[in-house]
This record gives sequence, structure tokens and C-alpha cells, in this order.
Amino acid sequence: MKTLRLMTVGGVIAYRALFNWTTPGMFVGTLLVGPLFQLLFFAYLGRQLQVADDRFYIVGNAVLTASLACVFGGTMAVANERRFGTLGHVLLSPRSRTAIFWGRVLPYAGNGLLIAVVTLSVGAALLGLRIPLDAVPGLFLAMAAGSLACGFFGLTLGALGLRFRDVWVVSNVSVALLLLLTGVNVPAGNLPGWMVTVGHYLPITHAAEAARRLAAGDGLAAAAPALGQELLVGAGYAVAAVVLLKIFEVESRRRASLDAL
Amino acid sequence: MGSDNAIEAHDLRRTYKARTGWLKPKRTEVEAVRGVTFTVGRGELFGLLGPNGAGKTTTIKMLNTLLIPTSGTARVCGFDVEKETRDVRRRIGYVFGGDRGLYDRLSALDNLRYFAELYGVAPRDQKRRIAELLELVGLSGREGERVEGYSRGMRQRLHIARGLLHSPDVLFLDEPSIGVDPVAARELRRTVSDLASTGTTVLLTTHYMAEADELCDRIAVIADGQIQALGTPAELRHRADGRRVVEVEAYGVPESAVDALRGLPGVRETAVEARGALQLLTVHSDAHVDVQGDVLRELAGIRLGRVDSREPTLEDAYVAIVSAA
Repeated sequence: MKTLRLMTVGGVIAYRALFNWTTPGMFVGTLLVGPLFQLLFFAYLGRQLQVADDRFYIVGNAVLTASLACVFGGTMAVANERRFGTLGHVLLSPRSRTAIFWGRVLPYAGNGLLIAVVTLSVGAALLGLRIPLDAVPGLFLAMAAGSLACGFFGLTLGALGLRFRDVWVVSNVSVALLLLLTGVNVPAGNLPGWMVTVGHYLPITHAAEAARRLAAGDGLAAAAPALGQELLVGAGYAVAAVVLLKIFEVESRRRASLDAL
Repeated sequence: MGSDNAIEAHDLRRTYKARTGWLKPKRTEVEAVRGVTFTVGRGELFGLLGPNGAGKTTTIKMLNTLLIPTSGTARVCGFDVEKETRDVRRRIGYVFGGDRGLYDRLSALDNLRYFAELYGVAPRDQKRRIAELLELVGLSGREGERVEGYSRGMRQRLHIARGLLHSPDVLFLDEPSIGVDPVAARELRRTVSDLASTGTTVLLTTHYMAEADELCDRIAVIADGQIQALGTPAELRHRADGRRVVEVEAYGVPESAVDALRGLPGVRETAVEARGALQLLTVHSDAHVDVQGDVLRELAGIRLGRVDSREPTLEDAYVAIVSAA
């Protein structure tokens, strides 16, 4: 119960303390309006090039919009501790590191889910896409899975921030890679094989696939394998983040490699 | 070492290794702490005094588990700082000086709520404990304001409140009054003194002699990574016995004149402290040698202010100890 409280209450307070885009202007502008224009850009480009239909771009980009909040949020959840000089006080906590840092991902995943839902709703309304009503719960699940996986992916990058000061470069590149490698805007069949392989190990790829199947009316059973793969990818990054955090914490004690305080 | 000790450090050493460059990497090693041994009794207020770079903060970071000693051992409340980190962390609080170390976007209340979670304060106790601490450090009524608007003194008090959230047995205070104005520093000292009177063991690092003198039961003077002297303030003061101190306020003293003062018969140490345009020259000499006349002769032609000859203070003893290191 105490651990659950640390993850939820602690996670929300940490979100308010460490996330840079919590003000209404920043939140709406950066996380809602910007991604919506990105969706429209790719949808109109797709129409022009006749690569795929509107549903392909709207659903894929809606799932992808979660990545901005989740990747950068997950990174901020660790890397911003350096900025405030609070890392040492966090490391002095006797509580479980796993609970502390996994808990920090939850608000960002919720954030990503909200953004994905808003983007899908507005994008579909603007471009006239009809989504079957019975697909909505499944779509919600797919976007939640994508957001959670993305949050843990961001946390893994944040953990790298304990070792490398310029982790924001990695986050920026990662967001660009997600745009390219997840098959959201370029169908996987048109990508080189190695890119498809890398994409399989990135968040969003499988969530976007599941969401497309659901939006096409294929049903949850057809989307379940992709949904499961997305959750597996997310679990992999969750474990990777905790392992990296542990390694860098031990290393910091041994080699004084962290400017902890 | 007996169980009456809250802190036991034995021959602690810490070496920092750094590597710069990729093609031709250059490795450097700095021995920050070189064999520090001391104990702090339960409920004692112990001072670790030394100049910048003496090894105070490194020593504290080894004791509070943030750094592993290169060699040597240390126990806090009976637990090994290297292996039993969780047990140590449950029992210690850590406060350091400076503006950083708090979440600026959050209020003081939310900062304390978050660290109460991190430090395992039971949910049912959090509200009462936070209110008590805000009262203790004089931030009641201001707890809802964002920390980014706090003065340095207020931040320091919030640091102390945070360090006490889980009622630690041992509190490490690492230069808590650095950069704080005199009034706020006095309030901080009062808070620290009150803490010690409630039975909390306090290890205080500072380079303010008066602060250590006023607060500490015992003081260890550390310089060059080693403890140079250890005792009560009165015992340390005796280190300057047999000396006399001449203080001269002057303007524009050249280095050659200072060197000349150092060469005077009977002079043991000479220090220069810049205070804006003013320089304060402190000349330690053997008590039986009156060097004031010689000092003024060497400073002939230089604009002088106050000249004073006096008995040595604890600060003079500290200067003598550190100079001898």
C-alpha cells in the first residue's frame, strides 16, 4: 500500500516538480496544437502522394502524439533532478528506486494518453474519419499501451542522463526516429528491412498497428497480438530503465561520477 | 568503538580519479580524504572545520552513503555506510548550503510532502510532522508559496525542515549558513542548537569559526584531507597559547611587504584577508616577542587604518592549525 502511494502520490508531485510543459500555454501549444498540425501535414501529404488513406495517417499519428510528452517527460523525470540539484536527496531515500521512478512514468503516460485521445478525436472530426463505436475501448487500450511503453522508453533515456549530460540530444533524435521507424507515416513495407527490425523494438510501432486494426473494425482479437507486443516492448524498457538507474547509482557511489548535489 | 557513538569513522580515505581526452587520455588522481578517524557520540554536536577543499564534504558524503570510501570503514548508528545503506539512510538527514536542492516550481509544502514520501514518513503522520517542522523553521504561513520566490535564508530553513522530516537520529549539516545573511545565520544557529538539545546527533561542517565555537561540543579541524586537531573549542584555543596577534588594516599592501613581514624575527604566520579595498593583515608571533613596531616599520609608506595587538582567539588557533598542515 505504501509502495502504491509512493508511486501515485509521489509520481504526481514529481510530475509537477520536473515536467517543463505544465503551464496551460506550453501544454496546449507544445503537446496539443503542434502534434495536431503534424497529423494534418502527413494526412494531406499522404493524400497528395496516394501512399495510404486518411485512416492510416490519422490513427498512426494520433498514437504517435503521445511520444512527445512521454519521451521528453520520462527524460525530464530523471535528468531534471540535475537541474534542481535534488538528485542527491532522491538517492538518499531508503525507498525502492523501482517504485520511485516507475511511479514517475505514470503521470506522463496519462498525459500521453490524453493527448492521443484529443488528437484522434479532433483529427478524425477535421478530416471526416468515422471510427466504429465498438472500436473505441480497444483504441483507448492501444493508445494507453503505446503511452506507457513510450513513458518507460523516456525513463530509459532519462537514466542515461545520469551518465551523459547531453541526454536531450538523444531524446530529440529518438523522437525523430519514432516518426520514421514506427511505420506511423511510412508503411513498414516501404522501409528497408533493418529499419523495420529496429522499429519492432521501439514503442508506438505495435500500438499503431493495433489501433489501425481496431479503427478498421477488425476487432480486439485481431489487434491483441500487436497490443501484447507493445506491452512487451514497454516492459522491456521498464526493466532496462531500472537496471540502468541501479548501475549508474552504484557507479556514482564508487566513482563519484554524478554531480549529485 | 562503543555503541554510544552515533558516528564511527576509521581511517577513511577517498581518492577521485578523473580522465580527460579521448585520443590521448590523461588520468589524474586527487586524494581528497587521507585517513580520517573520529567518533561522534549520540546527541553530540560535532563540528568538522576546515578551509575550502579540505575534504569536509567528501567525508560527509562517505558517511551519508553517497560515496563509497576508497578504503577505511565508517558506521552510522551501528550500520556500515558501504554495505547497509538502507539502514543508514533511514536514520540520517542531510542538509547542505546553497540555493539548489529544492524543487523551485513547487511550494515548500509540496517539497516537504514529496520528500516525506521519499523518506518513508507514515501517511498518517505527514501532515502533523510537516506542520511541526514549518513552525520550527519559521516558515508557517509561507508554506504555500513557490520556492522559486524564497530568499536564501528561507531556502536554508526549508532544507533543514526537509532533513528532519523523518526524525533522523543523525543530521549532517554541510555548510548550512553559507551565503546567508547574519540575521538568518543567527536563526539557523539557534535552530541547530535546539535540535542538539532534543538529542539529535549533529555533524556540522563549516568554515565559520564563530559558528563552530558557538555550537559545537567538539571540533575536528580538517585540512589537506587529514584531521589536524580534535577537541573541545577550549582545548583547540590552547593551540594558540604562547602566541600574540597583531592586526593591521591597510590599503594596497604589495606581496613583497607581506613576505618581509613573514621574515621578521618571532613571526610565525602572516595572513592577508581582502575586504573590498581594505586588506586585513594578521600577524601571529611568539608571545614574548613584540613585533608591532617591526610590522609598522615594514609597512612604512602604506596607508594604514586600525592597528591592534591582542590575545589569540579560537579563529587564530584555527589559522595556526591549518597553516601548519
